[in-house]
Formats: sequence, C-alpha cells, structure tokens
Amino acid sequence: MNCYFDHSATTPIDSFVSEWIQENQSIAFGNPSSTHAMGRKSKHILETARQQLADVLGCASKEIVFTGSGTEANNLVLYNLIHQEKQHIITSSIEHPAILSTLSYLEPFGLTFTLIPVDSTGTVNPQDIKKAIQSDTGLISIMVANNEVGTIQPIDDCQQIAQNFGIPFHSDGVQALGKIPIQDSIHNCDLMSFSSHKFYGPKGVGFLVKKDSLKLNPFIIGGGQEFNLRGGTENIIGIGAMALAAKSAIQSLEKSSKHISNLERKCISGIREIDPKVVIHGNHQSHIPGLVSFAFNKVDNQTLLTQLDRAHIFASSGSACHSGISTPSKVLATMGINEDINLSTIRISFGKHNTQDEVDYFIQTLKSLILK
Amino acid sequence: MKKIIVGMSGGVDSAVAAYLLKKDGYDVEGIFMKNWNEDDDCPAEEDFKDALMVAETIGIPLHSVNFAKDYWDNVFKTFLDEYSIGRTPNPDILCNKEIKFKAFLDYCLDLGADQIATGHYAKIVQSSHGFELHKGDDENKDQSYFLYTLGQNALSKSLFPLASLTKNQIRHIAKDQKLPVYNKKDSTGICFIGERDFKSFLSTYLPANPGSIVKVDGTIIGKHDGLMYYTLGQRQGLGIGGGHGEKNAPWYVSDKSMDTNELIVVQGKNHPDLFHTSLTASQLHWVSGKTPESLNNWSAKIRYRSPDASCQVEHLSMDRVQVTFNQPQFAIAPGQSIVFYNKTQCLGGGVIDTRSRETFE
Repeated sequence: MNCYFDHSATTPIDSFVSEWIQENQSIAFGNPSSTHAMGRKSKHILETARQQLADVLGCASKEIVFTGSGTEANNLVLYNLIHQEKQHIITSSIEHPAILSTLSYLEPFGLTFTLIPVDSTGTVNPQDIKKAIQSDTGLISIMVANNEVGTIQPIDDCQQIAQNFGIPFHSDGVQALGKIPIQDSIHNCDLMSFSSHKFYGPKGVGFLVKKDSLKLNPFIIGGGQEFNLRGGTENIIGIGAMALAAKSAIQSLEKSSKHISNLERKCISGIREIDPKVVIHGNHQSHIPGLVSFAFNKVDNQTLLTQLDRAHIFASSGSACHSGISTPSKVLATMGINEDINLSTIRISFGKHNTQDEVDYFIQTLKSLILK
Repeated sequence: MKKIIVGMSGGVDSAVAAYLLKKDGYDVEGIFMKNWNEDDDCPAEEDFKDALMVAETIGIPLHSVNFAKDYWDNVFKTFLDEYSIGRTPNPDILCNKEIKFKAFLDYCLDLGADQIATGHYAKIVQSSHGFELHKGDDENKDQSYFLYTLGQNALSKSLFPLASLTKNQIRHIAKDQKLPVYNKKDSTGICFIGERDFKSFLSTYLPANPGSIVKVDGTIIGKHDGLMYYTLGQRQGLGIGGGHGEKNAPWYVSDKSMDTNELIVVQGKNHPDLFHTSLTASQLHWVSGKTPESLNNWSAKIRYRSPDASCQVEHLSMDRVQVTFNQPQFAIAPGQSIVFYNKTQCLGGGVIDTRSRETFE
C-alpha cells in the first residue's frame, strides 16, 4: 500500500484534469498573441481559464494574473515595493520563504520590514500589526494558513486594520485554496497568491488575484503579457488545467474537507493512543483540515521518516531543505517549541484520495516503530 | 537477504560501492550524511543531488541524516584544540572514528541494517584471529591510514566494496553503468573546509597571534601571522623568500616555539633539523583490540601517503609507544597519526606527541 500523506508539499493531478491536458496539449500549441486560428484557440483557452477562476473565486477576470508559481506571485507583489515611496512591510515571522527570503533579498534595495511574532499555536495577534504600522508602511502581508503547522491566521481582522490605515493588504493563500472557503477573503484582500499544484493541478503555474484599483509595476519585462506585469508566452495548458482543478477543488470543498477532517480525527486519536503525551502543533480551533504536525518526544524525525518511507508511507518533516537534511524548523522555533520536540516533529497532510484504511495502516506502522 | 546501508557522499567511490553491492544481490539503501552546517540554510545541495541521481540510477532508496552536532562536539572541537596548541590534527581520522564508524554505524544498525558500507579504499579480511584491516589493492589510493581507529565491532559491521579495485576501474564501472558522477572530480582537502581558503577558515574560529620567524640561532628574519597556520616541514607561505641565505635555498618550518610564539625555520629541504629518527605517540588504538605481542619489523606511515618506513616500536606504558625509525623521517608533526603496518595489514596507530633526533637504545 502506498500512502501519500504529503499534500501540503504537493498533490497529484486530478485525473479529469490530466485527461484534459492529454487532449489539448498537442492541439492547443498556438501562441495566444498570434491572430490566426491557432493563436485564437490558445487565447480562448487562456481567457476561458481566467473567467472560470474569476467565477469560482468571486472576482473579475481582469483581477487574475497568471504566474509561474505561488512563489512568483509573492515575488511579484514584494518587488513592487522597490518602486514605491513607502517601502516598509509588515509580515508574520512564520511566512513561507517565498516571502521571508524575498524580503531579505530586497533589503539592499531600500526595503525594510517588521516581522510580527506568533504565539505558541502559530497565530498572529492583529493588534501587533497595528502597533507595527509606520508612516512609511506600504504593505501588510499575512498568510492565510501556515504550511508547516496548518494554523489559520485571522486575516480578516488583519485586513481590516490595513484597510483602516489605507495600507494595501496581501495574503499568501497557497495552503488555503480547496481546503477552506476563501472567497470572502479574496473579496477583502487587495492581493492574494495561489499555486496550482497544491489543489490537484499541474506544477509550474500559479496566479495572483489583484484588486483592479491597485496598480502594480511590471515584474517580468518582455512582450507585455498578463496586463504588462509578467512578460513571456503563457503556459496555456498549465493555466487551463489549473483553472479546472481550482474549480473542482472549490466546488467539492465541503465534501472533501469533511472526508479529510475525518481522516485527521482518526489519525490524531491513533497517535494519542500510541503516546498520550504526543505533542500536536498548531491552533486546534483554527487550522487547515488534514494537516497534522506532531512529535513523540525524542523520536528523531529523520529516522522515523526513513522508516515510514520504507513502509511506503510518505510524510515530511515540514522543514527539510533540498538536500533532505533535517534542520530545526524555524517556524516551530518561532512558536517557542524546544529543539528536542522540533527535531522530533513530522508532518502528515492528508488529501482527498486518502482512505481510512491508509490511516489504520499508518497508525499500525507508527505504533510498531514507536513502541518497539 | 542482508540489508546493507551505504554511506553515499555524492562522489564516484560511494556510488560504485552501492552499485556493486546491489549487483551482488544485497538489499541496499543509501544514506547521505551531512556533518557540517554551512552558513546557508540548505547545505550540500549539489552533493545530495548527485547522490540522489546515483541512487535512482541504481534503483535504491536514499535518505539523509544530519550529524552536524556530533561532528562539532566530537571532531571539530578537538580539531580546534589541537591547532590552538600548535599541533596539526587529522580530522578525517577522527571523523571515521567518531562519526562514520560510530554515530553513523549505530544509526544504520538502529534502522535495521546488518552492515554498513563505504567507498573507502581498504580491505577487511576475516581470519581465525578476527577481523583484519588491510590496505586497499590500489596502493596509490589506499585509505587504511584513516581507518586505524576501527575496532573489531566496527569491522565486523562494515564492508569496503572497493577493496580490490583501482580508481581507474571504479571510474570505468561508473561510466559503464551510466552513473552520473563517473567523471566527478575527487574531493580534496578536509571535508568541511572544502575548497575554501584554510587560513581564513581557521581565523574565524581561533584568534591569530602574530610573531617572529627566527633561525635556529634566534636571528629574526621575518614575521608570521600565527603559528597555527604553519605545518612542520612546510615550505610555501613563509613570506621570506630565499634571499637571506647564502645559497638562496628555500626555507622550511622546522619547529614552533609556543612559549615565545616563534616560528623556527631552516634553509634547504635536506637540512638535518627537518629530520627525526624517533617519536612518541599516545591515544593508541589496535585494530585487533589487543596490544600486539611482537612489535618488531613493522613499518609505519607518519602521515597520509607517506611511504612505509621500517621502525622499531617499544611500549613506554600501556598507552604510549616510542617508535625508532631505521631512516630519519622528514617533518614528523605532532598531532598527526602514526599508523603501523605489517606488510599490507594495518595494525593500529596513535597520535604523535613528540619527536627526537636521538637514537634510543
């Protein structure tokens, strides 16, 4: 049995999306900027996708900017600040590196930032944001939900504060689409980033939702595609596939999140049975369904993940870098989690295809490994 | 089927070691080990990528483990301590002792491995007396010098699949099997320093204490940046050229005076002060686990790749030997290891403490 429990890292492509790709990738190859029939066909796919996304997200199609990834969407937003007068950003200390590393990189260009701390559940206090506002604050960016521990941030309150001060508000929504309802937040936020492969779409494509009233500077300079923000011939098939996947994810959200929450409950009661002292991270009142970040004290996560891998159970430490080397998670450290627990933490993230049997098998395997 | 975990570095040697074991029908897994956390968040990405490409080509799983903390505590601290008292340590020997054949071995046994394997050029021979460590067949690449601290337990749990192969053969196998690292450059230098400048690396951890460069008679002929930067027998980097002497011959470091913080140099690489006939060593380790009965007619290496030198070994105490060479040896350096051989068999060794020019009877 192969148990893929790493949906926060990425998801498999929906089979109907995969079929659509198969059907279209060899015929829809025209450049959408070409005026002939082949170009028009591609342009049609592109704009249909934009409209589908807009419809399902409750925004206008001209508010959707296609990018190469969620990271790129975040970069597009942050780079914009180097062109502005107000170059101070407020963000949380547990944002994805697509935000935090980009901010560090942009510091020499004049940008400054304040990192808002989080409590032990990984939650931001909106009042801290209010206190951090300066006369030159040009952007507030708070993620919808954290990728390592699943905590959902009170972004509506954060957005309200930003709005009161007339500061644009951005949110990294990469972990949220298809997992929790976000239409209202999209409506309120000025900017929000998304990534296709987190909601059963293909990799290498993402998008930014941008309020029409907000003007941004070009990020990739070239042929003026994507409202002059992102030059480069569009990834037609990827974009078309992403729109289908997004639509499906949002329409079936209630059903899939119910299923995934059931798996999560089963999983949590299973690991509590193995060791009642297990530490489960995050905000239990407000978190992404299906993401369980937990630690059995002094059970080295590298060893455990290796053993699970052998048993065909695919989980992650949440913070492993490209070389697979487990280092203490900065997110957990920021939450005040001690290093022993930090280095014992593994992350399970369920998806819609996972089954109760898989969770049983996982708990059984985990039990034999922990209690051996 | 025996489960073997191979320590994979991303280099060609461990790649071929893993391939050979897999070909022989073992249940093989790879583990990429990282012992040093670089300044960036994601160390060794390139080497890990190479290890992964190899593992996928061979068809074995690959996992990672981080021993940076063990390495720092048990290898690097000793390394710095030795440098700070003017000695020249060999961290690779300590790494094999404390990390590869201890922390890593234990980790793999915990994971259910029957044995571990590495890409070392050395040979394990099982005899009626137990496990013997021998030189690898490729004398030019032989790494037994680095492995003298291995004991019976470690040897019984280890495999060196490259024992009988030459580097050329290994590259050949790698190329034949389309292992993507077949022409990857061999790593040089101390693993954690890599290609960085040694002097600037060391200066970030130890305060440099500049002083004088003197001749044996005490005449000051230059300045040094700190004794720790110099190795006995070293020629380059003295910054004093050859112009001071009568024959314009190059200068060599013959000694360090820690008390006066002076670097003592002599002229010409055949200067008698650069040669010693005996030494004492401690921190002894015998591969067999027992102090050998016969200590005669051995040969020894006083540094990696130095030619085997005939010697007599005499015990001064349980953990201290005196070694007398038949021929004077160039640049014996305290802190380096002396490793004893009986023909191809590596018997054990110790860390050099003192050297002397007198012949002890």
